Amino acid sequence: MGALTWIVVLPLLGFLINGLAGNALGKRFVSVVGCGLPIASFLIAAACVASLLAGGSKPLIETAFTWAVVGGKSFEIAFYLDRLSAVMVLVVTGVGSLIHIYSTGYMHDDESYARFFAYLNLFLFFMLLLVLGRSMLVLFVGWEGVGLASYLLIGFWFEDPEKAAAGKKAFITNRIGDAGFLLGMFLVFFAVGTLDMDRVNAAFAAGVPAGVSASVIGVLLFVGATGKSAQIPLHVWLPDAMAGPTPVSALIHAATMVTAGVYLVARMSGIYVHAETASQVVATVGVLTAFFAATVALVQTDIKRVLAYSTVSQLGFMFLAAGVGAYGVAIFHVVTHAFFKACLFLGAGSVIHAMSGEQDIRRMGGLARKIPVTFATFAVSTAAIAGLPPLSGFFSKDEILWFAYGSVTGGSPWLLLLASATALLTAFYMFRLLWLTFFGRPRMDEEVAHHIHESPWSMTGVLVVLALLAAFGGFFSIPQFLEPMLPLPAIRPQAQSFHGPLVWIATGLGVGGLLLAAYFYGNDAVRAAALRPGFEPVHRLLSGKYYIDELYDAVLGRPLAWISEKVFLRIGDRLLIDGSLNGLAALAERSAGRLSKMQTGNLHLYLFLVLAGLVGALIWSWRNG
Amino acid sequence: MDRVQLLIGLSIALFSIGLLGVIVRRNLLVMLMCMELMLNGVNLSLVTFAHQMGEAVGAVLVFLIFVVATAEIAVAIPIVLLLVERKHSLDIGAYNDLKG
Amino acid sequence: MIETLLAGLDELLLVAFGIGALAGALLMIVLREPMRVATALISTMVFLGGIYGLLGVHFIAAFQVLIYVGAVMVFMVYVIMMLDPRDPAIQSRFSRLLVPAVIGFVILVFVLVGAAWQGAPEAPAAPRETFGLQQFAAAFVREYWLHFMVATVLMEAAIVAAVAVVKLHRRGRG
Repeated sequence: MGALTWIVVLPLLGFLINGLAGNALGKRFVSVVGCGLPIASFLIAAACVASLLAGGSKPLIETAFTWAVVGGKSFEIAFYLDRLSAVMVLVVTGVGSLIHIYSTGYMHDDESYARFFAYLNLFLFFMLLLVLGRSMLVLFVGWEGVGLASYLLIGFWFEDPEKAAAGKKAFITNRIGDAGFLLGMFLVFFAVGTLDMDRVNAAFAAGVPAGVSASVIGVLLFVGATGKSAQIPLHVWLPDAMAGPTPVSALIHAATMVTAGVYLVARMSGIYVHAETASQVVATVGVLTAFFAATVALVQTDIKRVLAYSTVSQLGFMFLAAGVGAYGVAIFHVVTHAFFKACLFLGAGSVIHAMSGEQDIRRMGGLARKIPVTFATFAVSTAAIAGLPPLSGFFSKDEILWFAYGSVTGGSPWLLLLASATALLTAFYMFRLLWLTFFGRPRMDEEVAHHIHESPWSMTGVLVVLALLAAFGGFFSIPQFLEPMLPLPAIRPQAQSFHGPLVWIATGLGVGGLLLAAYFYGNDAVRAAALRPGFEPVHRLLSGKYYIDELYDAVLGRPLAWISEKVFLRIGDRLLIDGSLNGLAALAERSAGRLSKMQTGNLHLYLFLVLAGLVGALIWSWRNG
Repeated sequence: MDRVQLLIGLSIALFSIGLLGVIVRRNLLVMLMCMELMLNGVNLSLVTFAHQMGEAVGAVLVFLIFVVATAEIAVAIPIVLLLVERKHSLDIGAYNDLKG
Repeated sequence: MIETLLAGLDELLLVAFGIGALAGALLMIVLREPMRVATALISTMVFLGGIYGLLGVHFIAAFQVLIYVGAVMVFMVYVIMMLDPRDPAIQSRFSRLLVPAVIGFVILVFVLVGAAWQGAPEAPAAPRETFGLQQFAAAFVREYWLHFMVATVLMEAAIVAAVAVVKLHRRGRG
């Protein structure tokens, strides 16, 4: 079994061992297996990437086995390692392993410890299938699988019906996107005859095949990405997904799963370079999502919800970059986002842990001195997401703004405008979060305040590592690393001179957000509270998340329920299906009843029938010689 | 019409009348006797063919039919007696326990 | 004249016996009381015996009268005498299927006669030979001994059955 296959299979083994035997073998065993196997995957992945680079970056291809041979076309489970998947696999296994280690501390007192690690490992297995798969089919298996793992983990504490419902919502919303993905896959197969992504890209590089429109494929695949990466209009599941344990939010809904959509678009860049309309759609949806999510995040009061909307917003940024052709930059932002957002989520987990389960930031405050390590790492990551130099977020966000304005394929001033506004809002609400949580007078109960304590080293150690990566990760120049296979678009002539000023503007946005937040939320948020009555309707709209969930329920949910009840249940199921089955049974009963009238018990009748049969047989044989 | 045709015709008549009698009459014993009539009709046809073909087979078969008829009656009558003991009636209408 | 008369006597007797047998059979299905029906059957059997005799198989004729009339019909008569024919349960002679049965009977006769007529064999080429008892017995033992044995077994079975029935009858009574 090749090295790539081992990378994928090790977490699967972890799932099986912990899932089947975990409860019996104790927490220590579960921790060792549950963390050790992902770490092993990371080491093997690192070794594979090293050999990839040593070999002149010729992609490594490994075929595990042939899944099916249908009508002359064979579908294999094959793994493919090139620069793009190298970046992704390192992020997935690396950050994944860190989060696994964090979970040993966070979930320590949970009774379903083994189940948690089993599901985490299962998620990792599917995610690795997704990023290492050569064929869109393998990617899709991974895609669905991470959706499953996400459902299982969001609804981890399933005894609470709300949490279980959140899991269902995530899965169902995903499935809607998957319909688009499947249609896109069908079109690709129809056009090219294979689903192997490297071959598809090569085919498209030679020109769009006849009979298909690249834009249609691009849009369909993007629909799938919308579902998975929580863009408008399928973003509704991500905030609710915060019902799951915090490590889950960090791993799945920040660092890895939600970036699968961006990975898909980047991977299929061969199609998107020919699909101008689709790319415009991607960029537009991305920037609008970024802006709207940022506005909603302004008024959220649950610490995890702020981060959830922030994730939606940052994903919008990534799609913006992909939409204007700067795929490498999008992936760069995926990597830096993974670092600082994971750190933020895990930091939030540490805060929640310290606050004995409290998640409302209105009841926090003054934690900076009490949980210093958490505070420091949280602050570093907040600065990173705000785009303050020289942290990683600054580099990736700056590149995105630059290409949003200047790219030959789709860059425009209004994209830059919206993106900049979003960047300002991002900085503002993140620093708001920081201030309300860590500064000011403590607003919590006596009881809770008494128990505040720093988290164990398994948790804070991971926070430190991630904070360091968030700080210095910008120096891995990923766009240049990916340049050979994902070329960066050219810059419009008019825009070329703007690069320098843009760097200053980006910095200014970050600092501006910091200052605004400090102004409004310093001093126990006095000025923010004073401002509020003037903006009450806006505040209500934003708090209600633009009432999108209610809209979906009214337009889709209730009519569907009505149709299911009246049409499908009453008519279809009871009347037609049950009716026909019962009718068949009744028919059998009645005909048997009528036939049984032949058995009268009257011997004469039987003999008469003998006579009749005899006569008939004789006549027949007489006629037929 | 030579004698063979005549006798075959008679045998057919006897057989059919016997069959009719079994179907039509209600008394158990009369039904039994009609069955004997059927057997006789068959015997007659066998003897006729034996006479016509000059073979001994026909006669042998007739003899065996005698044997079988005797055995049949020897068992059928006691069965009838037992049945009548139960139902106290010779009417076939009383024996419809196999109804349904 | 006597010769022609004697020559035709065979045919005449044959026809007369045939008519007698037929008449007996028809009476059987018409008469009401079982005893009279038995008598009609006996008469049919005797006429048949006569026909066998005319055909030359004298020993078969003898067996017909001895076994059929002498054993079987006597047994039937015993039983009829034992069981009261004035059983109030005997309301009607005929079952409800009278009409369909008669129709079926007529069709049956037509079909059988039609079939037999078509295949009516030629006039017998072989002369009227009498089957001697000796020949019959020899043939029986030589060629048909298996059938003979099977018939014996059948008789044994009948005896056992009859004894069993008597025992049952006694237990029922008892």
